[in-house]
Amino acid sequence: MSTKPQMIEPKGMGPGFWPVMIGLTILNVAIAAVILYTPLDWILPEEWNPVADRAADIDMLFKFMGVFGSAIMVYVAGFVLYAAVAFRRRAGEPSDSVGVQLHDAPKLEFWWTVIPTALLIVLVVLTVQVWHRIQFGTVAPALTTEVVAHQFNFEIRYPDWQGSVFSPPGEMHLPVGKPVRILVTSADVIHQFWVPEFRLKAAAVPGLVQNLNLTPIRTGTFDIACSEYCGVNHSKMQGKVVVESPEAFERWLAGERAHATTAASVSLGGGDAAAGKTLFAQKCAVCHAVAPFEQKIVGPGLLHLTDDPKHPKLVDGKPPTAANIAEILQNGYTGDIGAMPNRQANGLSDKDIANLVAYLASLK
Amino acid sequence: MAVSALNATHEAVDARYNDVDPVYAQTRDIRLTGFVLALGADCVLFSSFIFAYLYLRTSAPAWPPFVDGHQLPRLDTSFAALNSIVLFGSGVTMHYALENWKHLKKAAFNGWLIATIVLGALFLLGQAHEYLSAAMTWQGSSFGASFFTLTGMHGFHVFIGVIYLITLFIQANRGVYTGSKYFGLTAGTLYWHFVDVIWVFLFFLFYLW
Amino acid sequence: MHAATTVHADHVHDHIHPAPEGFIRKYVFSTDHKVIAFQYFFVGLFFLFISGSFALLIRLQLFDPAGKFLSFDTYDSMFTMHGTVGVWLVVIPLVTGALGNFIMPLQIGARDVAFPWLNMLSFWLFPVAGLILFSSFFFMTPHAGWTEYPPISLSYGVGTALWCAAIICIGISSTLTGLNFTMTVVKLRAPGMTWTRMPLFTWATFATALVNMIATVALSAALLALFLAVVFNVPFFDPARGGAPVLYQHMFWFYSHPAVYIFILPAFGVISEVLPTFTRRPIFGYKVIAFSSLAIAILGFAVWAHHMFPSGISPWLQLPFMIITYAIGVPTGLKVFSWLATLWGGRIRFTTSMLYALGFLIAFTFGGITGIFLAAVPADLHEHGSYFVVGHFHYVVAGGAVLGFLAAVTYWFPKATGRMLNERLGKLGFWLFMIGLTGTFLPMHWLGLEGMPRRYASYTYFAATHPDAVFWNRVETFSAFFMAASIALLTINVVWSLWRGRVAGRNPWGARTLEWTIDSPPPYYNFKKIPIVFGRPYDYTEPLPYQNLDHDVDPYPAPTAASFPLPAPAGAG
Repeated sequence: MSTKPQMIEPKGMGPGFWPVMIGLTILNVAIAAVILYTPLDWILPEEWNPVADRAADIDMLFKFMGVFGSAIMVYVAGFVLYAAVAFRRRAGEPSDSVGVQLHDAPKLEFWWTVIPTALLIVLVVLTVQVWHRIQFGTVAPALTTEVVAHQFNFEIRYPDWQGSVFSPPGEMHLPVGKPVRILVTSADVIHQFWVPEFRLKAAAVPGLVQNLNLTPIRTGTFDIACSEYCGVNHSKMQGKVVVESPEAFERWLAGERAHATTAASVSLGGGDAAAGKTLFAQKCAVCHAVAPFEQKIVGPGLLHLTDDPKHPKLVDGKPPTAANIAEILQNGYTGDIGAMPNRQANGLSDKDIANLVAYLASLK
Repeated sequence: MAVSALNATHEAVDARYNDVDPVYAQTRDIRLTGFVLALGADCVLFSSFIFAYLYLRTSAPAWPPFVDGHQLPRLDTSFAALNSIVLFGSGVTMHYALENWKHLKKAAFNGWLIATIVLGALFLLGQAHEYLSAAMTWQGSSFGASFFTLTGMHGFHVFIGVIYLITLFIQANRGVYTGSKYFGLTAGTLYWHFVDVIWVFLFFLFYLW
Repeated sequence: MHAATTVHADHVHDHIHPAPEGFIRKYVFSTDHKVIAFQYFFVGLFFLFISGSFALLIRLQLFDPAGKFLSFDTYDSMFTMHGTVGVWLVVIPLVTGALGNFIMPLQIGARDVAFPWLNMLSFWLFPVAGLILFSSFFFMTPHAGWTEYPPISLSYGVGTALWCAAIICIGISSTLTGLNFTMTVVKLRAPGMTWTRMPLFTWATFATALVNMIATVALSAALLALFLAVVFNVPFFDPARGGAPVLYQHMFWFYSHPAVYIFILPAFGVISEVLPTFTRRPIFGYKVIAFSSLAIAILGFAVWAHHMFPSGISPWLQLPFMIITYAIGVPTGLKVFSWLATLWGGRIRFTTSMLYALGFLIAFTFGGITGIFLAAVPADLHEHGSYFVVGHFHYVVAGGAVLGFLAAVTYWFPKATGRMLNERLGKLGFWLFMIGLTGTFLPMHWLGLEGMPRRYASYTYFAATHPDAVFWNRVETFSAFFMAASIALLTINVVWSLWRGRVAGRNPWGARTLEWTIDSPPPYYNFKKIPIVFGRPYDYTEPLPYQNLDHDVDPYPAPTAASFPLPAPAGAG
């Protein structure tokens, strides 16, 4: 046919347009009510009864996004299905029938740009507020705990004035109601420390330390999962967080301290500095440079460890004798920038410790 | 400024063609723009590694970094400055080579082109000396990693450029190009200037900063 | 409204090259963009089977939380190869190499792309890249996911090195294609085809080509650095020698985020062609759709660190990336609204292609919304590294790019081959795909929020505390086979229709862009006379805005008997 095709225009907004739109709006209101006022534990763990302060905050954001997102989805999907029915070519129409030849509608486009953008800005503002609170809104922690990720477990320890306490691998205990600071790093590859119920996640990256802050507000036992591929046993790298009463926590900590390794009883004669140098490059160089004290990677530089007039004592305040150096290698150490693994975590035998001590002592 | 200079040359050349061979004019236009875009893509390659260098340098506790208990020395600027003059000089000679070709002065063209090739090769020798006398190694530190990788990529581009210029020399003397159709020479000149511009950045980033 | 403009017709490509002779020049080493498109299509389909098979193996492993079907080591190779092949050897080659190559030059009235020989080189780098990647099965496969982060990727040295080499190879192919298409759209449009008279698929291909040309080189740089780290022990990423693992992530994601716009922009272009044709209505908001593609392409370069929110980047870096990621939702949303408005007041014909387009509107919007969930840093700190992310990106890739691709195949197949695809098989395939898509990827969202991490070969600990985890994983496994069946049906449909499909004719759909004015399949030279364009193609009550066409076409193209049975004339029954 070479004649202009017949244009078929809808009457008003189309058959049944307003009832459908009203129906979709009612559906949206119902969905919003479910999101905002019913427990969402089926999709967000411990949502109804939050476990941590940050979890409540983040969940509020989830809910707002849920309302916003589901509204868009309902309208979009609803409109597509409506249009498929209302604007289908009917049997009996000419085979070349065309629809309304509408190119644009400036007023409509104005409002559908402005209103969603305004809603998006509200969402952005809300998000920035929550972001700011969880990144910067920290109170002074009552407790610091460190996580050093290894292939394939999380080493957890508790530093305080008595020296570090090492938890069984992967078992973190926390006292309820007290703000805690968690330092996270890795001894080998990138891992990720994730406690879903806390809404807490940080990558454990070798060479840097991440600083997390939260206050657990409810007791319970929760999973830690590694969520960054770290090797063949990535799927077996989990742990547990036990949030308990402060008294129970203190009892547990005292119990663990009693198990801690005591001071060095390693024979230090016959240490081979060359072997120690190789070992240093493999195990220590991730965090310590052979450079002046100030050249920190994670831990201080170890050049002149035994004869630096500006730093005449080791970091734990003891004189830099072979025995004291060996003790730090045995038990690890925690400073305010990071956590040094103990001998088990680093996989050091007695001979290794002797070799390292010989090497470190030679760095004059 | 560079773009308008390019456009002016381009229009002048085009003006010569439109009476003679409009098809060639349009084809040349497409090829030249495509070539410039390819050089742009090459810029992205260098920019990515320059980003890596900036990241590592600004996050290092000291620069140059410490290796084995000793701080690495800074690079020797004077030798590199000399080598840079050699390279920039080759850019000047290349410019004159192309100018002479446009004015159909074949002998002068050959002279300037050979000078460019020689200076380019000299630059590469200078880089070889720099590499052999460097205090750091490719594997030893982020300093060596960035320096050798970036200047190595640049040096590889210079090396390819020298091969390219030798090829152009042979082709020009075999009569492949005429006084009005010499796109290969234009592209070669552009490439050679591009290599110079990259070196300006690298010289600043490694020797002056 | 339109006036025939006086345009000079002494176009550079006014001369026609002689036809290529011999099997090798015609079908193997061809510089004809249409042949190259077919080559990309069949090789891409082959890799789709492979990537899809790996996906099925992944799903079979996850049927049982103990994960005994494959060894953990093999499973790690499987998810790595599934992603690597899917991204670089399936989606990008199919949407740029197959669709872009075939359609764009025809839409702009050109005889070929700007650099046909480079186009051929781009294609041949594609199977070479595949060979390099699959040679790793003889030595060591890459294991650390399609992202291959160091330091873990350094432990799988040989596999990682081969992976780098293969992807650099396909990266060069992609960059050259980007350059080629950019030049083609800028320089080779038919006389009178101004930028705002270009069809929207061409706009989409142009925006994609810009991204491809600029971003892919950054990928080559990241992978070159990784290759040097693995093979020559260069310490870019080793903290013990001054390197930084997070540096790789910056370099990698600077490309890999724009890459996802390479996947989706052509699909957007397809939808913008399919909807007007099957509603017989102009596209709503042409300029918004055209320019929002450019806006998305540009903004797409400024959001890469949203893949790195938990990685230890400074909070002050998180903030701008979060805000710009939210902002990309605006041009994308405007497109979706414009497409919805295109449906309004139309007279819809439910061809397979139209069904895919409608499915896209729903599935892609859903994927886009979960993207908003990921944009918010506080929420992302929960979702990152979990199945929520896997669900999100599969919705936008499978529910966005792949649905768009399938809409394109079912739409342009008649033009490319001169045959119609079987509509019944096509529609069945569509429903199987939608059911499969929903069943496989929707549960991933709640499994992820509940705490199931990704890249896990076994999830016994999670199943112990989440009794529904096993059920939903099994639903996902079962549904994946629906998608496999759909692709199998598509392949059967394509192969069968190539031989026995109904003859299509020049314009079975009654579409209005230039490619529908020439024969199906087009002759090797595309256009004997270069057409002159004096308007946009989307006005169904106006005559076609072209002059100097090769054939005497109907000024008001209508769907023909070849496309679907003609209805009874108006007034009867």
